[in-house]
Amino acid sequence: MAVLGDFGTTWTKLVDTETGERRVIPTREAAARGQRADIATGHNARRWAARHVNELIALTQGGQRLIEERELLVLDVGSRDVKYVHVRDGELLGMDWTATCGALTGFTLELLGNYYGIDYTTVRPSAKSVPVTCGVLGMEQLFELVSQGVPIEEAVARFARGIAMNAYRFIGEPKEFYLSGGMCENRLFQGSFPEDVEVRPLGRFVLVEGLIPELTKNGRAAK
Amino acid sequence: MVGEKKRRVGFVGCPPAEVLGAHRSAELIDLDNMIEGTQPHGESLLPRTTCRIIRRVLDNALSLDLDEIIVDEGYGKCDAARGLAELLGDLLDVPVIRTQNDSREGVGTPISDSDLPLLRKIELILDGLVNPQETELTPEPKPRAAMWGVPAADFSIYELFPDGTQVLGWTRCVENRTPADWELEMYVPEGVPTVFFAQTFCPKNVVAQHLAEKHRGLHVDVDSVLSQPVRAKIEAFLRFRRAWD
Repeated sequence: MAVLGDFGTTWTKLVDTETGERRVIPTREAAARGQRADIATGHNARRWAARHVNELIALTQGGQRLIEERELLVLDVGSRDVKYVHVRDGELLGMDWTATCGALTGFTLELLGNYYGIDYTTVRPSAKSVPVTCGVLGMEQLFELVSQGVPIEEAVARFARGIAMNAYRFIGEPKEFYLSGGMCENRLFQGSFPEDVEVRPLGRFVLVEGLIPELTKNGRAAK
Repeated sequence: MVGEKKRRVGFVGCPPAEVLGAHRSAELIDLDNMIEGTQPHGESLLPRTTCRIIRRVLDNALSLDLDEIIVDEGYGKCDAARGLAELLGDLLDVPVIRTQNDSREGVGTPISDSDLPLLRKIELILDGLVNPQETELTPEPKPRAAMWGVPAADFSIYELFPDGTQVLGWTRCVENRTPADWELEMYVPEGVPTVFFAQTFCPKNVVAQHLAEKHRGLHVDVDSVLSQPVRAKIEAFLRFRRAWD
């Protein structure tokens, strides 16, 4: 039995390999209760786990476990960063991880949703976008739009479009790709990519899934 | 004369052997290296898009009480180094010797090709500019990885690589004492997982990225401290290219 964890900046995703139980809890709550994991990944993993696996390795292995195709491109949009891996026939063709350009984008989208009380399942994606160099600069643009009379939901939709287009260019503008992370649950974000692009959500547990192969490397059988 | 203070001579890059040799009686200080206690005096004197090594050279030159500065501004150095020589000449009241090392007479690269840990290799290569090396070296016949580039501002990057990682690029040229040898700088062995590194804002990023594409390697640039994303990229690259097997 092992507890595997993805300790992100805002959210912590946990899997108990014995019971199969999956939990998503705020990272501040995980910290408060002293949550530990046997193997972990994520921004805060080194603090709370016996063993740390870096996020790109976890994302690659998670993608390979979840996708039965010879080629996969997985984009992970987190609270504070954006990363991707591109694998073909088991070979890593490309990867990148930015915590500077595009910083805090996921976090900001969540923050705006709470601030304005927006239900992202009902907001229509916008064809227009605001330049989102990073979450903070993007938010400045958004407030400017609101002050000019643009409806709040439209302004937020343009912000989401800005984040999506940044991420899309970051991964090389493919025709299709897999999406990992909390943004898989944000319908507005998923609808903000170009119309002819197929976005396939994989859910929030891709990185934790990528920790399972590490169990065997640790002398324990993967469940 | 007994009690006379030893002259302190700072140098930048890899000056010609005969120029450095003429100053062996002085305390030679490599200004490209991190020196404890140096203050960021030069921060406001350089554009923001200046690489960390040029910034460090200026900070060192302004912090240390030098008697003379030797700058290699040959083909092996960039316009930033040439500009810095100009700046130092105007700022400091010490002679700035502008020299060019265009030598093609290599002394060999036994450290770069040895089985030592990468960090130790870099230390030996850089230290070798001041103190002739006498370390016993064993060649690494099958390096599991290679690192191309200039010496990094943050040496912790070298700890990510397996022992025996081959040193390529300009650092290799420095060991060979031919910093302007473009052909040697472009040398990349086929089939060895290679990380192509340059400091952020360094023009060598153009060729680093190109070579990474050409040789299926990984291009990274780092400004000062090694960031978590860059660390993760190198770790993942070496792991999935089986450098640790």
